[in-house]
Amino acid sequence: MKKKRPPKSAALARIDAAARPTLKRAARMQTFAGVLWPAQAAAAAWSLKEWVDGTYTWLWFAAAVFVVVGILRAVLMHRSGAILFDTADRVIAEERQALLAREIKRTEQAASSAEIAALVAQKLSVLTPYLTQFQPVMARVRVIPLLLAGLTFYFSWAAGLALLIAGPLVPVFMAIIGIRAQKASEKQMVEIGDMNRLLIDRLSALADIRLLDATERAEADFENRAEGLRARTMAVLRVAFLSSTALELFASVGIATIAIFVGFSLLGEIGWGAWQSGLSFYEGVFILLLAPEYFQPLRDMATAWHDRAGALSVAAELDKLEAMEGDEVPGHGDKVAPLAGRASVATLGALVSRGGKPVTLPDFEMQPGEAIALCGDSGAGKSTCLMALAGLVPVKGGEITVAGAALTEGTADAWRARVALIPQLVHMPDVSLRDFLSPDGTGDIPAALKLARAEGIVAALPEGLATRLGETGAGVSGGEARRLLIARAILRGADVVLADEPTADLDAATGADVVAALRGLADAGASVLVASHDPAVIAAMDRSVFVEGAA
Amino acid sequence: MKHLWQAFRLIWSAAPISMWQGAIMAVMVALMGTALLGLSGWFITATATATAAGVTLGFKLFGPRAAVRLLALGRAGARYGERVLTHDATLKALSKLRVSLMRRLSRLSLPEMQRLRGPLALTRITADVDALDGIVLRLALPVIAGVLTHVAVFFMLWMLVAPSMAIAIAVGYVGGGAVVLIRLTKATFGPSRTAERANQAMRRDTIGMMRGRADLFLQGQVQSRLADIQQTESEMRSAMRRLDEVDRRSGLILSVVIALVSGGALALGGQLIATGAVSPAHAAIGFFVAVALGETIMPLRRGIAEIGRIRDAAERVLAHDEQGLGAPRVGGGATGSGLSATGVGFSRNGADAPLLRGVDLEVNAGETVALVGPSGSGKSTLLAILAGTEMAYDGEVRIAGQDLRAFGERELRGLLTLVPQRSALVSGSILANLSLAKESLSRDEAEAVLQAVQLDRVVENMGGLDAELGESGGGLSGGETRRLVLARALLRHPKVLLLDEPTEGLDTQTAKNVLEGIRGWLPEAAIITASHRETEIAMAQRVVTLTPAA
Repeated sequence: MKKKRPPKSAALARIDAAARPTLKRAARMQTFAGVLWPAQAAAAAWSLKEWVDGTYTWLWFAAAVFVVVGILRAVLMHRSGAILFDTADRVIAEERQALLAREIKRTEQAASSAEIAALVAQKLSVLTPYLTQFQPVMARVRVIPLLLAGLTFYFSWAAGLALLIAGPLVPVFMAIIGIRAQKASEKQMVEIGDMNRLLIDRLSALADIRLLDATERAEADFENRAEGLRARTMAVLRVAFLSSTALELFASVGIATIAIFVGFSLLGEIGWGAWQSGLSFYEGVFILLLAPEYFQPLRDMATAWHDRAGALSVAAELDKLEAMEGDEVPGHGDKVAPLAGRASVATLGALVSRGGKPVTLPDFEMQPGEAIALCGDSGAGKSTCLMALAGLVPVKGGEITVAGAALTEGTADAWRARVALIPQLVHMPDVSLRDFLSPDGTGDIPAALKLARAEGIVAALPEGLATRLGETGAGVSGGEARRLLIARAILRGADVVLADEPTADLDAATGADVVAALRGLADAGASVLVASHDPAVIAAMDRSVFVEGAA
Repeated sequence: MKHLWQAFRLIWSAAPISMWQGAIMAVMVALMGTALLGLSGWFITATATATAAGVTLGFKLFGPRAAVRLLALGRAGARYGERVLTHDATLKALSKLRVSLMRRLSRLSLPEMQRLRGPLALTRITADVDALDGIVLRLALPVIAGVLTHVAVFFMLWMLVAPSMAIAIAVGYVGGGAVVLIRLTKATFGPSRTAERANQAMRRDTIGMMRGRADLFLQGQVQSRLADIQQTESEMRSAMRRLDEVDRRSGLILSVVIALVSGGALALGGQLIATGAVSPAHAAIGFFVAVALGETIMPLRRGIAEIGRIRDAAERVLAHDEQGLGAPRVGGGATGSGLSATGVGFSRNGADAPLLRGVDLEVNAGETVALVGPSGSGKSTLLAILAGTEMAYDGEVRIAGQDLRAFGERELRGLLTLVPQRSALVSGSILANLSLAKESLSRDEAEAVLQAVQLDRVVENMGGLDAELGESGGGLSGGETRRLVLARALLRHPKVLLLDEPTEGLDTQTAKNVLEGIRGWLPEAAIITASHRETEIAMAQRVVTLTPAA
């Protein structure tokens, strides 16, 4: 049978390499602990021999050896466990930080925020049992069964043969059952995913469901789903239990066979199976005690196989994320001194990319005190243009000149310190309004609110500036959120203000308030660029610039 | 501890018979494993002494041989049965618990529901409930089965070997296991809680950071935010390290206990033989049983590692258990129409100043009243009170002639519908979304109601009533979502319709048409809108202004 091995995951290869040196040391310690078992077995066999012989010369010594070696093995496992934990902890933390640093820099998100968070907070830790259990088991399984089978052979070829035959059956049987388990487990994963989606969906609509008197139906729906999940999980577990039961059966039958063989050899009923001198009582007990430890690493491997499967699926996700190509936001995102010079912007044949497609920026110049409308059809690239001018996407061709300097990797951080961007959908971090408006606690908040025509919004909030804003700005409407962002731009001293469709979804009165606030910023000396197709906005600006569309 | 015990009872009592059967099978597994090794040891030692004594075939050799094979097979069978029984019973209990949690969440008051963060509640229903499976499978069952096994083995050793051997093994294992369980369990509580909290914080902060990425770059806060997350991460890591230390220490102590008890059995056996109390073959039972019983205490290690996490999960899951649903009431007096409120007042929890004070309102059938007032004047709260979702109000509200407090939930929902400011759709087809309001909805009626809210064209362009919406109704614009939500409410055919900013996000002409469509659909209903738009106010017959009470 030709087996096609899947190409090894790049992420897993990196993780293995980072873990290898310390992992090897811990695996050696564990293997050594396993190798010490024959010493314990010999001590126990010797004690029993003295019982039978009725001599008690070495009995206490042998019992003490049994205990001391047992404790030594426990200590070795304890110490190696510490090394393994350290290794996994370090490797996972490195992966986590690399992942966050890489994903935050992307101009276009490669996975949803929730997916990245799940990877960071939950899925990466699946690598822990892979590193602390699976890897050392694989080291043990290569050495211990062979060594114990060899020792058994030394005393009796028949017993050794029994072990060698029963041993490999374990992984073979596992593989056969494993295929079925894999399928059942995939179905279960689908079911879990479906249930979680249904749950999130229904939970966020809970109030509506209640008001529509549909609670009972929604509950019955969910109950069915939960019951389906239980049935699927049991199907997976049945197969898993069957495979581990089969393993245990092999192990106990193997041990029982050796016990019976040893007993009959000692009785003289079986004259074959040992070498010329025959099997002594001491040797018989010794090989009987080796048998369970021969099977133990194989059983451990069966258990740890799931850890490997888990690690492979996480590695596949990491690979997929890493393989996504995309641009990086220029600069580091550090707080630096604002770029010196007048708040002017000029573009010349500037080219950026969005969604893998090139977007050409219109050639234009903007001087301090100017308010310009950026017009164009939907999808022509107005938002992309604003992002580029804010230094949030790299310039691929041509030039954007800001405050007299080229907007590059080196100047992006300093330029952004002067820019305020007011997006269509406002994201409110989970902080108080005061901290949102002025993160460093400086500036005259009431004055800024007044300039932004936002003082009434804060006054209406139950806790005023201490109100904590939710994810989507719960408690303030879309127009109110935009005015709060304008107030924040004033507090930051931003003199370049870029606004994206500031009047979308607003009634005329609220829209007029927002436009007036923006106009006020330009009158106070800032450069203001507003992307819009609202005639009222365009009329309120000094002039218009047109985005032509895709290059 | 109280919560651990509660959670244990909850899960055990879902299928106590299966649980006990499973526990008995677990005891049989341990006993058969013990017997297998004990019998093998006795058999070999006995054959050796038989040879030594020159007796070759005095034994019933076929007894041990068959017994050894039978025990090996029986043990495997019992193991399988035990696992299937206990896991199935546990999963049933957890599935029941999930459903009852969902049910409890749907009994919350409306404001509480709106504050409920979807992902957080989901964690409670999925991860926390999953964590509880360990309480029976990895904690209670190993302890119960272990104790029962040790009791049985104690009596057998007492009779077969010697009382001293029985006592030594029982004291060594039960004592050692108890010490580990009692001493180390507490050490996991603090770190478990810290690790969980830090993990949740890390998840939340990562989501926040990714969503607010553009803003963080503009504010120059990317690096500092990454550093914050790293700080949280290192808190989590050090808590996990402490948990790992406890876990390894329990493994170390348990392994040492096994070595001591087994080694002790070797020495004690020799002592007993030397004094002529037992034969070597019987003493061998003692040693091999001691080795085999090691399997009964090692599972404690996993239980201890998990106990802190289980306890916290149990605490969260069971936190609001006392909060039940009152008995269903049906007033039966709602035979009139319209709505009236007299002297309604309301204070938010803990606030000094009341939000509403002395509000009087009367709306007759067929009438439309617009509530106006600045943000924060309590428009939405008044609607919540009128809809019976905020019951802690002063004054009196009568719906269709009956006191609001006398209504049963279903009776009220049958004649009153509230459309809150933030309404959510669900994934599924447009028809499925509409069917939430009316179970046996005909396609004709669905199309008619879509026409009433000016959504018929939009739906047609999307591919008709069976067009699928994404998560939370994804695929519709804000204004379209709003109109679909309104259509859903209309299908209830309420006598009283409460609308919170019904046309938010619609242009003026569409807003006007939608409001007319609503009135045309429900000519006899009393309609109240909370409004700040000119269009809505102009369409109302009467305007009631709310002024902030404070």
